[in-house]
Amino acid sequence: MDAIALENVTKSYDSVIAVSGVNLRVRQGAVLGLLGPNGAGKTTTIRMVMNILVPDEGTILVLGQPVSGKTRDSVGYLPEERGLYPRMKVRSLIVFFAALHGLSEAEADRRAREWLERFELSEWSEKKMVDLSKGMQQKVQFITSVLHRPPIVILDEPFSGLDPVNAATVKDIMLEMRDQGSTIILSTHRMEQVEKMCDSICLISHGRSVLDGDLRAIKQSYGKNTVHVEFTGPDSFLTHPAIAAVNRFATGVEAKLKPGADPQEILKAAVQSGAQITRFELLEPSLNEIFIEKTSHA
Amino acid sequence: MRKIWLIIKREYVTRVKTKGFVIGTLIVPLIGIGFTSLVVFLVSHQSNQGLRLAIVDNAGGLAPSVIGSLDAKLPSGQPMYVVTETIDRPASASSVQDGLRARIISGALDAYLVIPKDLSQSAELHTKNPGAYAQFGPITSALNQAVVEARLNARGIHVDDVRDIVRGEDLQVIKVSKEGESVERGQTLGVAIALVILLYTSLLMYGIITMRSVLEEKTTRTMEVLISAVHPFELLAGKILGVAAVAFTQFAIWSVSLALLATYGAAMAAMTGAGAALAGIHVPGVLLAYAGVYFFGGYFLYSAMFAAVGAACSNEQDAAQLQWIAMAPLVFTMVIYSLVLNDSTSRASVILSEIPFFAPVLMPLRVSLQVPPAWQIALSIGLLFLSIVAVIYCSAKIYRVGILMYGKRPTLPELVRWLRYS
Repeated sequence: MDAIALENVTKSYDSVIAVSGVNLRVRQGAVLGLLGPNGAGKTTTIRMVMNILVPDEGTILVLGQPVSGKTRDSVGYLPEERGLYPRMKVRSLIVFFAALHGLSEAEADRRAREWLERFELSEWSEKKMVDLSKGMQQKVQFITSVLHRPPIVILDEPFSGLDPVNAATVKDIMLEMRDQGSTIILSTHRMEQVEKMCDSICLISHGRSVLDGDLRAIKQSYGKNTVHVEFTGPDSFLTHPAIAAVNRFATGVEAKLKPGADPQEILKAAVQSGAQITRFELLEPSLNEIFIEKTSHA
Repeated sequence: MRKIWLIIKREYVTRVKTKGFVIGTLIVPLIGIGFTSLVVFLVSHQSNQGLRLAIVDNAGGLAPSVIGSLDAKLPSGQPMYVVTETIDRPASASSVQDGLRARIISGALDAYLVIPKDLSQSAELHTKNPGAYAQFGPITSALNQAVVEARLNARGIHVDDVRDIVRGEDLQVIKVSKEGESVERGQTLGVAIALVILLYTSLLMYGIITMRSVLEEKTTRTMEVLISAVHPFELLAGKILGVAAVAFTQFAIWSVSLALLATYGAAMAAMTGAGAALAGIHVPGVLLAYAGVYFFGGYFLYSAMFAAVGAACSNEQDAAQLQWIAMAPLVFTMVIYSLVLNDSTSRASVILSEIPFFAPVLMPLRVSLQVPPAWQIALSIGLLFLSIVAVIYCSAKIYRVGILMYGKRPTLPELVRWLRYS
């Protein structure tokens, strides 16, 4: 049984098609990166999983059940647009949301104290939300999305606005939840985070899923089509016909090869042009490149 | 149900704990006590000085008779009129009047009465304060008496006291109701108008509180987290019921304080001799019960509309522009309520008070004037209930779509289109 299964899901607003025939399976225990340019339909997709929006067509199963008010409590959700009642006190606010998700208030209160301790917010628990800094509010919001220990957690840009120390805490908690068997969906534009955290990805562009599956397999399917060259001397070899695109960095260049091109030809051309090669390495494409390629083609 | 209960509880607790609630709840009765005390004080400490009056008698010989009839007294026992001088048939009327006018302006005199030479013309009262009607009545009747006396004298009829002959009969109005008969001294009208104003302002105030509460969840972006935990309908229901509970608490506190205030006020009034004014005011329990039923009916009807307006807008400015949709029927009620006040049994009154949007104010008004037939009340409650269901259904749809919409304020056609969304 999949944690979440979307089958041929379509949703449009008036004349705008936000999501069009999306299929997606998230296996239990996976950490899935939900990627896509702004306005691709990620938020709409998440809202349909949360039963906030109803799809026009297709089915959505959460833990094998069609989405409903009941499945909602199995999913913790941290929306991208943050905000909580500004005039409520921190701990009573956390308890309120946990109770809405089905916890008893006593249990919610016990866990709230634990989590506030963990995020070093204990001394703020009787303060109003509005008195907290943005980063602290962010932490409180994170707590409200995971306090009821949902088997599935959807986190939309969970690290934005957090300092490195707090970002590390959130990352540790996410890995901990994964180890305990939770399924995590991470929606973000920060590709390096996805490469570090996720084992699978789903890339949505213009309302369609253009790429999904195991991250390692996807990268391997692209083959080692990129060469990283560090050199001194002339760079005329970069105009070699086998090179599709060049990305220059301070220390060297990354050249993306045309399909079927032989990297040895590039090395040969570089040596012949008189460049002093200090490093020549074949690489898998970065997720960033895959993202740009997939979304600009669509 | 548990989720609705949690929403109600949060709404209630956070609202009742605010300074605004405490201040609003305490200050309204305090203002009531303040005003009542002020009125009682003013009634018992009315100006001790009588009206200083000069009489210019162009006809001649009438002034003594007028003065004799001006025997009204102030509550303090002082005479109400002090005639400072009488000018009988002046040689130059205009120069005398110029002098009197100057004395009024300098403050030495309050008014002067000019009796015309030809009694078929009107007499004139020159005063700095033409709004003090209560002071003019006795002058008119004193003048009338003097003139009638003079005319009778002219025809050779001698009377010692004209007053006994010309005194008319007062009309005392007695209200007949199931509870018995009560002498009417304007208290029915007073209670009716107070009721209309109270219902109108409360419906408006609590409606706007509901709208703001929805808007706050939207503007602070709390909405998305909320509806990922509860169904929008549960949220809407919890919010409306939560604010209703706040209203109920506030009314309970006010009723108790008003009951105490009435007791206190009556005691105060009795001590100061102003009892008659307050003693006539009697609000029957049945009227309070109807007012309560119609208030909460009206509250559910209007707050559902206000909630939909709040959900459709993204900021206070937009909401201020769109809230006329919910306010219009309420404001219209205030335009038409005088129709019902004038004749609560007319066909117009009956029909208007059956219309659910007007019933919450107009039906209690009719009850306060003359209890309508039971079927009319039952019908209006039935219609009101059906409308509440229909309005909440539509509002919930607008609400459900609106709470996720940010940006441009929707137009009315767009709101109608939202009703058709699944």
